[in-house]
Amino acid sequence: MKALIVDDSQIMRRIIVSVLKKAGVEDIVEVSNGQEAVDLLAGANDIGLVLLDWNMPVMSGIEALRHIRTTNKKLPIVMVTTESEKEKVVEAIKAGANDYLLKPFNPQDVLDKLQKHLEAVKK
Amino acid sequence: MDAISTTPFIETIHEIFNSMLGMNVKVGAPRPELSGIHPPDLIGVIGLSGSAQGMVALRFPDKSALAIIGHMVGAQFAEVDSSIIDGVGELVNIVAGSAKGRFRGHNMSVSLPTVVRGDICRLSNMADAVWVEVPFESALGNFWLIVSLKQSVNTQQEVAREGAHR
Repeated sequence: MKALIVDDSQIMRRIIVSVLKKAGVEDIVEVSNGQEAVDLLAGANDIGLVLLDWNMPVMSGIEALRHIRTTNKKLPIVMVTTESEKEKVVEAIKAGANDYLLKPFNPQDVLDKLQKHLEAVKK
Repeated sequence: MDAISTTPFIETIHEIFNSMLGMNVKVGAPRPELSGIHPPDLIGVIGLSGSAQGMVALRFPDKSALAIIGHMVGAQFAEVDSSIIDGVGELVNIVAGSAKGRFRGHNMSVSLPTVVRGDICRLSNMADAVWVEVPFESALGNFWLIVSLKQSVNTQQEVAREGAHR
């Protein structure tokens, strides 16, 4: 299973890569904004999980989420963001996010949460 | 919000250190003004807009930035490179992004972070905003939170109108 990390911070991508590897995911693709994610997903059908930041240059995570959902309703997408307001969470879920992880996070908590999605993808 | 509240930012910094770095951080006494001229540091700055406007910054001596970012990713850094600069930007992004959700009754947005090397005194500041500097001590080095905020005119008018209707 291949995972896609969408975050403009290389440090955050590095942390998430480490969490995914602990969960047994070795095939990981990284991009740094929403537009790159939309472009990549338009030409790739082997991505099984997307971890999507919100606040990014070029195209934000919420815009990317809406674009992706116009063509792909089933791909598991987890927002990984600092946006903690209830309205933001509701906005993301309405736009089609499967889950919502708040930064700052404990890597173990992220691992526990991602396991649920990884198990679902494997089934 | 009072003239300025640093509590949501301080709470977020505690949370970052507890959850992402596995350690505590000690907060010092806030200063209402900048504490003099500093040697060149790494400063992550992010703008806040909406019902309160201003900026939030984290100022790190190089040594602290190397240790803190290195600990976050489980690596050792000998010098300031793009990873360290990126890490400082991400830290201030988390601080501002998470803290804005803790201000009750406010609707704020954050800009994308910027990281500069230099003296915070040279950063421009809004003339009518309150400026607070808060020192932090950690096992990985010292750093400072700097917050400069003012309520928007609209918010002050809204608060006054609400008071009149009670």
